[in-house]
Amino acid sequence: MIELLNVSKTYNSGKSNQFTALRDVSLTIGPGKVTVLQGPSGSGKTTLLTLIGCMARPTSGRIMLRNMGTASFPGFEAGEGVEITSLPERFLTGIRRSAFGFIFQHFNLVRGITVLENVMLPAYPTGEPHDAVRKRALQLLEMFDISRHAPARVDLLSGGEIQRVAIARALINNPSVIIADEPTAHLDTKLSREFMAIVGSFKKEGKAILIASHDPLVYDADLADSVVLMRDGQIISSGSAQ
Amino acid sequence: MRNSTIFFAFVAVGVILFATLMLHSQRALLQSEKMLVANGNLVGSLRLTDLCLFTEARYTRHPAVADVHSAFQDHPMALDHFPSGSLVTPPRFRNEGP
Amino acid sequence: MNRYLERHRNIADFALSSLMRRKGKNISLLLVYTLVVFIIASVLFFIHALKHEAALILKDAPDMVVQRLVAGRQDLIPAGYGDKIASIRGVSEVTPRLWGYYFDAAVGANYTMMTAELQGPEPEKIIIGNGVARVRRLAAGDIMTFRAYDGKTSLLQVQSVLPYESEIAASDLVIMHEADFRLLFNFPAKEATDLAVKVRNPSEISTVAAKIVKQLPDARPILKSEILRTYDSIFDWRGGMIIVILAMALLSFIIFAWDKATGLSAEERKEIGILKSIGWETADVLLLKFWEGTAISLSAFLSGVILAYGHVFFFSASLFEPALKGWAVLYPEFRLTPAVDAYQLAVLFFLTVLPYTFTTIIPSWRAATVDPDAAMRS
Repeated sequence: MIELLNVSKTYNSGKSNQFTALRDVSLTIGPGKVTVLQGPSGSGKTTLLTLIGCMARPTSGRIMLRNMGTASFPGFEAGEGVEITSLPERFLTGIRRSAFGFIFQHFNLVRGITVLENVMLPAYPTGEPHDAVRKRALQLLEMFDISRHAPARVDLLSGGEIQRVAIARALINNPSVIIADEPTAHLDTKLSREFMAIVGSFKKEGKAILIASHDPLVYDADLADSVVLMRDGQIISSGSAQ
Repeated sequence: MRNSTIFFAFVAVGVILFATLMLHSQRALLQSEKMLVANGNLVGSLRLTDLCLFTEARYTRHPAVADVHSAFQDHPMALDHFPSGSLVTPPRFRNEGP
Repeated sequence: MNRYLERHRNIADFALSSLMRRKGKNISLLLVYTLVVFIIASVLFFIHALKHEAALILKDAPDMVVQRLVAGRQDLIPAGYGDKIASIRGVSEVTPRLWGYYFDAAVGANYTMMTAELQGPEPEKIIIGNGVARVRRLAAGDIMTFRAYDGKTSLLQVQSVLPYESEIAASDLVIMHEADFRLLFNFPAKEATDLAVKVRNPSEISTVAAKIVKQLPDARPILKSEILRTYDSIFDWRGGMIIVILAMALLSFIIFAWDKATGLSAEERKEIGILKSIGWETADVLLLKFWEGTAISLSAFLSGVILAYGHVFFFSASLFEPALKGWAVLYPEFRLTPAVDAYQLAVLFFLTVLPYTFTTIIPSWRAATVDPDAAMRS
C-alpha cells in the first residue's frame, strides 16, 4: 500500500521559473486495485507518478510504503511502513527497481539493441544471475506473444509490439506496483483494449496499478477501481469509478 | 554466448599470451648467454668498436670512432645520411685533437 | 561476491552491445588504436633490446683506440706512435689495427675490410661476415674478386663465413691476412689505421689518455666508456626520426581522447536518461562508460604489445627495415635477444588505457547524475 500525506512538489524553487506542480496532495493506493489519474496536461499527473515511483522526492509532505517487500532491505522490518521521503538515494533506487515497474508514454526503449536485452536491462545492475533473468524475460515475451521477436532490434517492430516489449520490461523485476503514464496515447482502439486486458491480468495477480490518462477508454473502464481527478496540481475529487 | 564472456575470454587469452611472452623473454635471455659471450669474444679478438648497423657511410658505420667533421665530407649532396643521420649523432669526446 | 561479479558482467554485456551498435566506427577505432600501440611498442622493444645487446657485446671492445688527425681528418698513424704509447706507464699492450672500407660496385655495398692477428685467415684467404655472404651469395670455398688500388685484381678465397648470430657485430666484415690487406690498398708499411691500447688498470684510462694527448698532440684517444656511451645514446629521442614517431603517437592518443572528451551526443544523453528511469543508478551508468572505454583501450594495448613483441623478436623488426636501411645495400638481420623493460611497458599501459577510459567516463558524469524523472518528463 502506498500512502501520500500532504505532498507538494515545486521545481526550480527560488529561481525566476519557479513552478509548483503539486499542491498538498494526499492519496492512498491499495494492492490489487487500479487507480487512474485523470486530468488535463499540466495538472500534475506525471509529477505525482514520479513521486510515487520513487523517482524524485517531494518538496514537502510524506510518502509511506507498506507491505511491499521492503522487508528485504536491511534495517526495515516486515509490516512496518517505510517513509521514502527521507531515504538515501541508494535505497530509493533499490526500492524503485524491485517494487515498481514503469511504462512510459513514449515507451523509452533503447534503440539498436535486441528486444530481449531491452527487457533484461532493468535487472542488470542487481547482479542477479544472467540465466535466471534471461529465462524470466523469455517467459514474459511468451506471455505477451512476442517471443519470436526476441532477437530482433526494437527499431523494426510495430507500435503495438513495442508497447508489449515496454510492458514486459516493466515486469522483469517482479514489481508489486505498475505505473503507466499515458499508455494508450499512441495506440488505436483495438490495442488500447488489449492493453486494458493485460492490466486486468495484473490486477488478478494482486499488483497495484496506477495509470495517468486522459483517454476515456482507460478511466471509464470497468477495471478502474478509483478515478482521481486532478487540476492545477491538486486533487479535485477522488472516488471509485461508476 | 554472452558478449562479456567473449570479451573476458579474449582478455584472458591476451593476458596469458602476454605473460607467456614475458616468460619467453626471460628464458631467451638466459639461453642467449652463450651467443652473447661468443659475440663478445669476437669483438674482443677482432678488437671491434662498433655494431654493424648502418653500412652506408663511414660515420654511420663506425659512429663510436667517427669525428665530428665526417658528416660533410662524404658527398656534397649528402648533407646528412638519411635515415641513419637522424638516428645516430656524432659522439662528444673529451680529447678532441687539433 | 557473486552478485558483485555478475553486476560487472551484466553491465559489461550492455557496454559491448552498445559498442556493437556502431560496429564500423568502433572496429576501425580499435584497429587504429592497436596500430599506434603496435608501432610504439615495437620501437620501445627494438631500441631497448638493441641497447642492451650493444652494452653486453661491446664491453669486450678495446680499452682505448688512438687515432691521428691531420687537418681535422683521420689519417694513418705511424708505428712510432705505438712505441711511444707503449712506453707510458699503465699501458700493457698496443696493437695496430688495420681496417678500412671497400665499395663493391657489383652490388653497391660497402664492406669493412680488416685484419686480425688472432684467429685470422690464412694468406690469400678471407673470412667474411654473414651479410657479405648473403649479399654476394658466397659460401666457403668461393672466390671473391677485389680491385686493388694499383689497378690489379685480387682473387681471394673464402675460408669461412662468420656465424649467423654474429650479424649484429660482424655482418659486413671481410677479414684478410695483413699482407693481402697492405697489397690491396697499397697501404704504407709501418703505418696503421689506428691503435688499440690495453690499459692495465681500468681506472687509469683517463690518465693514460691525457698523457697520450700531451706527448702526441695530433693523437686522438677514444675511451671504451665513450664507445659504450655512443651506443647508449643511439636512437635517442632527441634524434630526428624517433621524435617524429613519438609525436605522432602522442597526437593519436590526444585525438582519441578528445573525441571522447568533447561531450555526449543528444542521443547518448537520452539513453542515459532511459537507463536512469528504469532503475540504473549513477554508479551503474559510470561503470557502463568505464567498460566501454576499457573494452577498446585494453584490447588495443594487449593486441598491440603482443604483435609488437612478435614483430621485433620473431621477425627481426622487419617493418622497420625500409626506415633503418636507408641507402645501405647490406643490412644485418637482427636477431635480438628479447630484453624487455617492464618500466616502459607499464608507462605504455598507463598511457594507453587510463586517459582513454577517463575521457569516456568524465563527460558522462553530468548526464549520469540526471534525475530519473527527467525521462518521464521528456
